[in-house]
Parts: sequence; structure tokens; C-alpha cells
Amino acid sequence: MSRFAEPMARLIEEFKKLPGIGSKSAQRLAFHVLRASDEDAEELAAAIRDVKANLHLCSICNNITDVDPCVYCTNPTRNQRVVCVVEEPTNIGAIEKSKNFGGVYHVLHGSISPLHGVGPEQLRTSNLLKRLDAGEVDEVILATNPTVEGEATAVYLFGMIKRPGVRITRIATGIPAGSDIEYADEVTILKAMEGRREL
Amino acid sequence: MALKQSEAVVLRSYPLREADLLVTFFTRNEGKIRGVAKAALKSRRRFGGALEPLTCVRVYYEDREKQELSRIDSCDVLQSPLTSAVDYPRAVALAHVAEVLDELMPDREVNDPMFRLAVAVLAHLPAGAIWMPVTYFDLWMVRLVGYLPDLGACVICGEPLDGERAFFQAMADGLMCARDKRLASSELSLDSRQLAAEIFRSPIDAFEKCPWPKERAADLRKMLVQIMERHIEKKLVATAMLAKL
Repeated sequence: MSRFAEPMARLIEEFKKLPGIGSKSAQRLAFHVLRASDEDAEELAAAIRDVKANLHLCSICNNITDVDPCVYCTNPTRNQRVVCVVEEPTNIGAIEKSKNFGGVYHVLHGSISPLHGVGPEQLRTSNLLKRLDAGEVDEVILATNPTVEGEATAVYLFGMIKRPGVRITRIATGIPAGSDIEYADEVTILKAMEGRREL
Repeated sequence: MALKQSEAVVLRSYPLREADLLVTFFTRNEGKIRGVAKAALKSRRRFGGALEPLTCVRVYYEDREKQELSRIDSCDVLQSPLTSAVDYPRAVALAHVAEVLDELMPDREVNDPMFRLAVAVLAHLPAGAIWMPVTYFDLWMVRLVGYLPDLGACVICGEPLDGERAFFQAMADGLMCARDKRLASSELSLDSRQLAAEIFRSPIDAFEKCPWPKERAADLRKMLVQIMERHIEKKLVATAMLAKL
């Protein structure tokens, strides 16, 4: 028999399905919802329903959006001819924080991951190829993660998207700004040395 | 408890809780161990790229009483797959090596020959030349775990196969002669059998300059994968992708 009343046990079970949430955290969240006001609980439920009902992928760049095309693809102040390819929609937020990139995005929704059975055919690339074939792109920036899987994805994409007149670049890797060379690992140092630039 | 240290190969890592990583290592001193690298996702300072699969590292870890998972303190990179180009075929080959080691190695069982094999193969697995190291690795792995049948005699009649045609089948315990072969058997060519004998006599460096297209010893690799999958009773995911390259 459950230690909690059935609705509470059900809520705990649902929270436990979330990534990084174990039994204890699920109980804490469930009791927080119980103690919250009716309005707050309603708003949480409505927000979850809203996410599922109103969010979908942008037909141009695969970003998660409530309007199609998304805000980046329709923004006239952004350079629509420079496309930054990222693995996940969350990567866009990280790049936008820099306030330094004025182009648009393409989201792959993953990377090649042989250990998980994810091959190149599972990457969402068809709309990127369409943009390239239509001659709408001058530069593609491959901003996949600097991991084995991210590198393999970047190299694979390079072979797939190279077109005359389209510049293809890879984001730099190396020592993070504000850190100390003393604490950088060997691979990072090696990459930083390889990618050094003239002053 | 004092920190232990060992040379190790990182086999897999999975996100755990908000910012931790659950990492499987194949260590030289203790065999396959699993440990938690605290805050490895949030701060790259302590681990950097050391927890990438197939990185050879010196790992510092602590075993906790009555706990299955070790605490990973830090790692020094000895050899990283990221120091040379990673294309799709190489990524699949690396994943195959990691998967086979992870599936075939029991936990906490020291196996120095297997560790040396893994390190040697990883050092000879460049982009554009994956089939030699993969064949070398698969053959030695199957032999080291004790699954390799006698390649010189028919498992049914016991007759030597010297120069004769030889066949293998997923459910058979070894090679079969033409008379005893079962339905749906595949042939293992004489060339591949001779190559297997040569692999057992030579270090991996000896094959470095041999031209090795995908077709070379493909029958031998198919047999080895069948043997491995039969023993672990499941399909190898990365290996299936390797076959499609």
C-alpha cells in the first residue's frame, strides 16, 4: 500500500519521470504543489498544457517555437544568409547571450551518436539543405559540441552541405575566457594551440 | 579512504542528476568500474575533455563503503581521440570498441592483456583507416574472453580444415567443413583464416601499412560479431552501424 494518498502518489510518480528527479525530490515538489495556492497550481498545470499544445518546430530552422516561422527566421534585422548549426534548441540561448551573433540558426535536434544508435539519417537536415540549394546561404557555422560525437557530426555535415560559394566554418575550441591555463587539460591546450591566431 | 589511481579507458558516460556524470572506466588495476564525477557537466575545469568516451586517462578515484559507485576525483588525459580528426566512420569504430569492451568485460575483473589491446587499438585508429584496427580488436577480444573456437578444425567431425572450405553459422559452436555445414551458414575464406593466424603472431603496428579496404576480412568480422552477440544475448548497437558504413 502506498504511503501517500492516491493523488499525491500519482503526482510523485509523474515528477519522478522528469530528468534528474529522484524519489525525494519528487516528494518535495509534490508537497510544494500541495501547499501552493490554487492559482499557482492551476498556472503550473496550464503552463504544462500550453507547452504541449502550442509549441512546435519552426519549418525553416527546427527551433522550438509558438509561431511559424520562428522569431529568428522572420527578424529583418538578422542576417538570414549566415546560418549557425547547433545540436539542441538550448544552444541558441547560449549563443544569443553573447549578443554578438546576428545571423540565424538551424537546429539538428541531436548529434551522431553510434553508441545510442543515432546515425546521420536521424539528424534533421532536410530544411537546411533546401535553404542551401535555394542559394539563400552565404555561410554555415558548424557549432556542434567539441566532443567526439559533435566533431563527427560537424565533419559529416561538412561533406553534406559543401556548395560552391558557401563558406563553411567551425567554431573555435580552446581555453575558456577568464580561466587559467594552469587548469586547462591537455586536449584543450592542444586545440587552443592548433587554433591560435595572429595578432 | 585513500584515493586510488589507475590507467584507464573511458567507456561511456551518462548524465546523472543536474550536473553529474556517471562514467564507466576500464581500469588497468581493477577492471571495469563505475563512478560518479560530481559537477562534471557544470564545470569543465576539473575534468575537461577527460571523460569523453575512449579517452585514455589516469583516473584518481575513491571506493566508498557499501556503495557500488566510486567517487571520481580527477583524471589526467594520457591519449584522447579528439587529438586527431574524427569523421563519422571513426566515431562509429570508436563507439564499437567502447561497446564491445563494456558488454564483454565483467565488473571489477582485472584483465591486463585486454587493457593493453584496447590502448594499442585506440592508438592505431585514425580517420580513414578503421577496418584493420577494428578487425584486430574484434579477433583478439573474442580470443581473450575465451569465445574463439578452433579455426583449424571442423567442430562437428573434428577433421582439420587445412586449405579446405570452412563455414560458420550464428548458432554453431565453431567452424564447420563443407560436409557438415548447417543451413544459412556463411563461408570463412582461407585468406581470412590465414590473416587471423597472422594477427595472433604480430603486433598491431605490423599491419599499419597494409592496404585494408572494408571487404578485407569482412567474413571474419561477421563471424566474430555473431560469436559476441550470441554470448551476450543481445545485438551490439554500434556494431550494426559499423556494418552499414
